[in-house]
Amino acid sequence: MHLKVPRAARHRPFTPWWRAERTQYVLMFLPALLLLIGVLYPFLTGVLRSLTNEKLYVAEIEFIWFRNYLELFMDPAFRESLARTIGFVLAVLAVQLPLGVGIALLLDVKTPLRTFFRSALVLPLLIPPIVAGLMWKTMMQPASGVLNWLLGVVGIDALPWLSDPTTALASIVLIETWVFIPFVTLILLAGLQSIPEDVVEAVRVDGASEFQAFVYVKLPWLAPYALLVMLFRIPDALKAFDIIYPATRGGPLDATRLLHVMAYQEAFRWSNMGTAMAILFVLWLIAYVVSSNVMRAWQRRSGMVQGG
Amino acid sequence: MASRRWLRGGALALGYVVFAAFILFPIVWIFLMSIKDFRDIIAYPPTFVFTPTLKNYAQVLFGAASAAEATAISDYVRFFRNSVIISGGAVALAGFVGIPAAYALSRARFKARHSIAFTFLSFRFAPELAVILPLFVVYRQVGLYDTYPGMILAHQLIALPLVIWIMLSFFNDLPLEIEEAAKVDGASVWQTLVRVALPIVRPGIASALIIAFIFSWNNLIFGLVLAGGRTQPATMAILQAMNFDQIKWGEMAAAAMVSSIPGMIIALYFQRHLTRGLTMGAIK
Repeated sequence: MHLKVPRAARHRPFTPWWRAERTQYVLMFLPALLLLIGVLYPFLTGVLRSLTNEKLYVAEIEFIWFRNYLELFMDPAFRESLARTIGFVLAVLAVQLPLGVGIALLLDVKTPLRTFFRSALVLPLLIPPIVAGLMWKTMMQPASGVLNWLLGVVGIDALPWLSDPTTALASIVLIETWVFIPFVTLILLAGLQSIPEDVVEAVRVDGASEFQAFVYVKLPWLAPYALLVMLFRIPDALKAFDIIYPATRGGPLDATRLLHVMAYQEAFRWSNMGTAMAILFVLWLIAYVVSSNVMRAWQRRSGMVQGG
Repeated sequence: MASRRWLRGGALALGYVVFAAFILFPIVWIFLMSIKDFRDIIAYPPTFVFTPTLKNYAQVLFGAASAAEATAISDYVRFFRNSVIISGGAVALAGFVGIPAAYALSRARFKARHSIAFTFLSFRFAPELAVILPLFVVYRQVGLYDTYPGMILAHQLIALPLVIWIMLSFFNDLPLEIEEAAKVDGASVWQTLVRVALPIVRPGIASALIIAFIFSWNNLIFGLVLAGGRTQPATMAILQAMNFDQIKWGEMAAAAMVSSIPGMIIALYFQRHLTRGLTMGAIK
């Protein structure tokens, strides 16, 4: 073997600071840091703007401390939107987690068609959400949509879907589920496939039924993966916009006006920049608190999986 | 015993059928709509057998045949080109900036490392408007509103956290020994990255850039807020099909199919690192 004597690298008597490894790493990171500041700066000015009565296209700005926040929390429309947003997130989780586990179990079974189904699975995820929103809006047309026709074929009464306040938000949950169920399933499927085969086999040998193996082995194993699903899905559902905007624009009668949509309308329909930023800061705060807690829980649980 | 196996097989088959119908039916339906004549689109009960037409695609891609048929999305190609410029530019910039940054975050040992990485991550979870609404005001002041550079910069909010976190996961997996050897041979940090680390993580780079591209391409809200008439991306064009008294269903469907093409191609050809990319490296 040809052994090369290390050149001065290790024993170099003097390294000028601009050639030091540390400097080179800092330089490597510098452009990204500049962009990060470029993003942080508007965000921080946004926080300041939430303390003003700024209006779009109006030059005069007055500092009004927390009046925007006070007025928001006095405003029933905001409180309803806040409650609606939280309800929406809970509904999304309640539908998508069990459904995701079900589909993941289905795709975990070894059948010849598995590859095909897996390819089909990811399609909704890669279609622009706005396309998904319009697609479903088209199918959900009360009088002429294909969904009501299909319901009629099976003998079920037509539903008003997006056009009625009582069913609109549930319809959005359905569309959201169509778009994101692939994501949820991919994570849970990765979880199922990381279960060592001998573990499942061992409990089967001990006489456990398939159902018992699922409840006592697979479900606990999936817990950190479910946390990972929540880590991504909770903030995404909190800030839902791309599907709602084309499908309903927040209507009918505010039934689908979640906080992100409300902030957009406050800014561009009423040009209340200050109020819009106050809504967004509340939304950001909720997203931040929830996701950092879920993140911590996930790190604890996944550390246990890797360690055990 | 045999009957139970049949039952299980039947349940599985039923599950597969329901699942496939749920996932695929909307896509198939919109595809059918995009090749239907207007009369077939509004027909009720819906038609499944009809004479296919490419008129909607022609309308969307090559413009109206007559002035009477002109619509807002007849110059869809322009929107499509805007999307290519914005998302392509955003991903290229995020790659050049993000890959070295991820490498530095993975290799250098300085204290602020974790908090910086998490600040990047937190933008994945923050409501976009919290950043782009103030950005809208700033952009109008400095003249970046409705420009390609402005859009490409803003899209870093989507692309950069994805690239940095996905690459971070791949760099952290690399054994340090090879790079140590290169450094002993006198290679600088940059040389080590370009000649040693990058060739090994090539699948990671592909994964990061493709995911970033899809997310940037699919985005609606950035175009809605920061783009005016000149730089509106493809997702905005579809929205415009609805802004008239009568929704142009056929054209909307055709535009939707065309703007879904990049994602669909990638979905079919590139699956190996999809989960890892989508979870920003949390799942290997």
